[in-house]
Amino acid sequence: MSLQNLIMNLQKFWAGQGCYLAQPYDVEVGAGTMTPDTFFRVLDRRPWRVAYVQPSRRPTDGRYGENPHRVQKHYQYQVIVKPSPSDIQQTYIDSLVSLGIRLPEHDLRFDEDDWESPTIGAWGVGWQVLLDGLEITQFTYFQQAGGIELFPVPVEITYGLERLEMFLEGKDNFYDLQWSGDVHYRELRFREEKEFSEYNFNLANIERLQKSFVLTAEEAASLIEKNLLLPAYDMCLKCSHLFNLLDSRGAISVTERIKVIGQIRALVNQIAQKYCGREVTP
Amino acid sequence: MELLLEINTEEMPSSHIKAGLDQIKEKLAAELSASHVAVLSLETYGTSRRMVVVGDFAPQQENKEEIVVGPPKTVAFSADGSPTAAAKGFAKAQNVEVEKLQIFQTPKGEYLGLKKVIKGKPTREILTSVLPAIITALSFPKMMRWGACNLRFSRPIKHILCLFGGETLSFSIDQIKSDNFTTGHKIHSPQKFRVRSFLEYKTLLKKNKVIVSEGERKKLILDRIEKRLQPLKAKLYPDEELLDKLAHDVEYPYVLLGTFPQEYLKLPIEVLSVAMREGQKLFSVVQDNKQLPCFLGVADTPKDPKSLIRKGNERVLKARLEDAKFFWEQDLKMPLSQRAAGLKQVIFQEKLGSYEAKTARLKSIVGYLCDKIDEKKLKKDAVQAAELCKVDLLTEMVREFPSLQGKVGGLYAKAEGYPATVVQAIYEHYQPVSLEDNSPASLAGALVSLADKLDSVVGAVGIGLQVSGSSDPFGIRRNANGICKVILDRKLVFSFGHLLEKAISVYESTLERPREGIVASCQTFFEQRLRYIYEMQGYRYDLVNAALGAGLDNIYYSALRLKALGILKKSPHFEPLILMAKRVNNILRGLPSYKVNADLFAEKEERELFSTFTIIKENVSPLIANGDFAKAQNIIFKMQSPLTSFFDRILVMAEDKKTRQNRLALLQAISELLLQVADYSQVVVEGEK
Repeated sequence: MSLQNLIMNLQKFWAGQGCYLAQPYDVEVGAGTMTPDTFFRVLDRRPWRVAYVQPSRRPTDGRYGENPHRVQKHYQYQVIVKPSPSDIQQTYIDSLVSLGIRLPEHDLRFDEDDWESPTIGAWGVGWQVLLDGLEITQFTYFQQAGGIELFPVPVEITYGLERLEMFLEGKDNFYDLQWSGDVHYRELRFREEKEFSEYNFNLANIERLQKSFVLTAEEAASLIEKNLLLPAYDMCLKCSHLFNLLDSRGAISVTERIKVIGQIRALVNQIAQKYCGREVTP
Repeated sequence: MELLLEINTEEMPSSHIKAGLDQIKEKLAAELSASHVAVLSLETYGTSRRMVVVGDFAPQQENKEEIVVGPPKTVAFSADGSPTAAAKGFAKAQNVEVEKLQIFQTPKGEYLGLKKVIKGKPTREILTSVLPAIITALSFPKMMRWGACNLRFSRPIKHILCLFGGETLSFSIDQIKSDNFTTGHKIHSPQKFRVRSFLEYKTLLKKNKVIVSEGERKKLILDRIEKRLQPLKAKLYPDEELLDKLAHDVEYPYVLLGTFPQEYLKLPIEVLSVAMREGQKLFSVVQDNKQLPCFLGVADTPKDPKSLIRKGNERVLKARLEDAKFFWEQDLKMPLSQRAAGLKQVIFQEKLGSYEAKTARLKSIVGYLCDKIDEKKLKKDAVQAAELCKVDLLTEMVREFPSLQGKVGGLYAKAEGYPATVVQAIYEHYQPVSLEDNSPASLAGALVSLADKLDSVVGAVGIGLQVSGSSDPFGIRRNANGICKVILDRKLVFSFGHLLEKAISVYESTLERPREGIVASCQTFFEQRLRYIYEMQGYRYDLVNAALGAGLDNIYYSALRLKALGILKKSPHFEPLILMAKRVNNILRGLPSYKVNADLFAEKEERELFSTFTIIKENVSPLIANGDFAKAQNIIFKMQSPLTSFFDRILVMAEDKKTRQNRLALLQAISELLLQVADYSQVVVEGEK
């Protein structure tokens, strides 16, 4: 099964579970959790079901295309179901079966792994899902986002698409994966990984990044004042990515790290508060 | 009658299962005893997906007898002995014949009354109200909610099975209704099945690929590991914690033996075993302490017929080892001494500065310690270890496997050809991480460990960080325990007060609190830690007080004092010596100190006491200085006889001021000498109030 078939299968499966199929968000994020289709929609009390592919950027994970499974951009398949159904674990298991995995021949484990994203004031309780020792999914009951306690509780299921595909194809290297019948991951991604690693680690201009960070944070604050919460949140996402770039340039000390993360979180928390205070019905 | 309760959950962490089961057991036993229900047995079992309670209880509460008191005998019967209207009325009100009534002796006299037997409530009824209350009140180290449930629990509850006497015991917890069925293994046998007893439950579960007893699973894992390893003549790299985790995590253990390419054997065993343990939870396999190119894993399945599980794990492990090898080779490209410059960038604590500053302090403290314990030869190596011990924080390997900090530094130092003393000291300087952990095996390692931990404690205390209850954010308590343990294990003799001063002075102006405040806080804190450690060792609190009361400056000596007191406690000298010391102390209470004038002693008994004391002091002082408190104690005991005569014959509080003060001065000198061994006045002797 190629990666695009894997994606199509998951789309079909989760659409069958009543999920609306969103499209990837167009701002750089570190994880699917950060996109508005998850972040805003988990805050209120209304039911919500969504599934989507989200490219996720983590500049420090870049390896110039030389490491078989570490990349500065990978693809997540993100599912949010709120409230979490009582049989959601079985549904997740069914989704693996729907991919043709014969589970009785394998070892599927839910291994304690609580998740936390200090930048967006979010945490949850759950597991990393291991299939024959390979981590293929993070399964989390979301407890808090934007500093707000969530109720009803959403469940977040994040598949690591490359890893799952490695399992399905029985391969050891991301770059050998087949995206479609005749296009390989290498053709699509190798040059991107090499060039972005060079940029992330060596060439990103620290001074300009720092300036951009300051300007973007100011923009976020002023948008919050004007109650334009979605644009304000976009600015926070941009800040988070700028921070990640600065980090991969080694321009952030341990103390600064705590300070800057706290700064972004404060903005995000304000957005979440306001969003919950004056909910606009669409 | 048998109770069977199974709380079926999504995978719970092992510590939560244990905490949950202990609470259920304790609370259930307490509730039943409060309700007068006899408990014949009460046991718990668990897997990561089920908390199971099995009990054998009386079917109902014990019956209670109650006496209902009616009218006085004089009112209830007329002169001829026949019941009056009052008696008849009472009988009617109680719904019995008058003949059933009896006369009872009460404090107010004889009364007519009725003995009633109140039948106990059925246990089923009690359990129906008690169990849901216990389950909803369980507390776990970290709680969560799910769905639209208001309940907070460890992980979502999927289902509850509850039987009493083979019949469903019905109750509801937040939309979950108890029932009489359970389910098997989540992959191999997920279907529902009905059960009527624990025996049936256990048997059917096993058929459905779940072994409910943790002990049985653990034994199975060990047996199968043994079977796998025997042909290889190899052993498991011991990891009790991992074994417990796996015995808990799987419902039906299968042990697999996999291999990895020889080329990764270049990596040290520490790195290999951590790469295996973290992530995939695999055991490494050794032969004569050498790593073999294979691993053992525990899967949650009855079998691996196509070896897919083994091959999958081999593939993932190879990728991890490839990473580790990459880190190892990358890290070795830059020598530690050169890498050390980067410590400036790593913050030790926001207010306490970088690891570069910490390293400078450690060098100074370690050098000081070497001088104080007279280990001049060791100084060069120990200081070099201090200089390099934190550098591995900058390596890729420690960034990937933080639990290897220290060890990785030692391994790189070894690869670079540093002296064995330096290598070992770096390697083990984080030890002991708890009171159960071993102290460093080398003296240099112990000194670096001591300096590192003391620097952290003094720094934290110096900026006002505090330990409270279970919260110990900066590891102050853990570090202080480590310091005490190292000093006691290595029998290090030095002035702790002076060391504290040194540790404070190397911070220069970094610390916010004044020096005296830090010293006082540290002294109190260390006294508490020692008290805790000694009481854990089984010493009685009053002996601990007596040992610590003689001073803390020499921590190792406080342990020797305590040991001497322990010996004394078992000897016939114990009571007389304690009473003698108390008698001396009592008379001196609240007095200013005086000076002895030998010429003023006129009476025989006081001259004798003075000369015995002078001789004893001369003999005992070197013993005290060397920490031989048991021997010192024996010699001091020889003062008992002259002291008794002194108290019998001499009036201490003599009218003449000079005589009186001189006698008191002698007793003060004796008291001072005693206090150099222990503060005997803190010891409690039998019969004393």
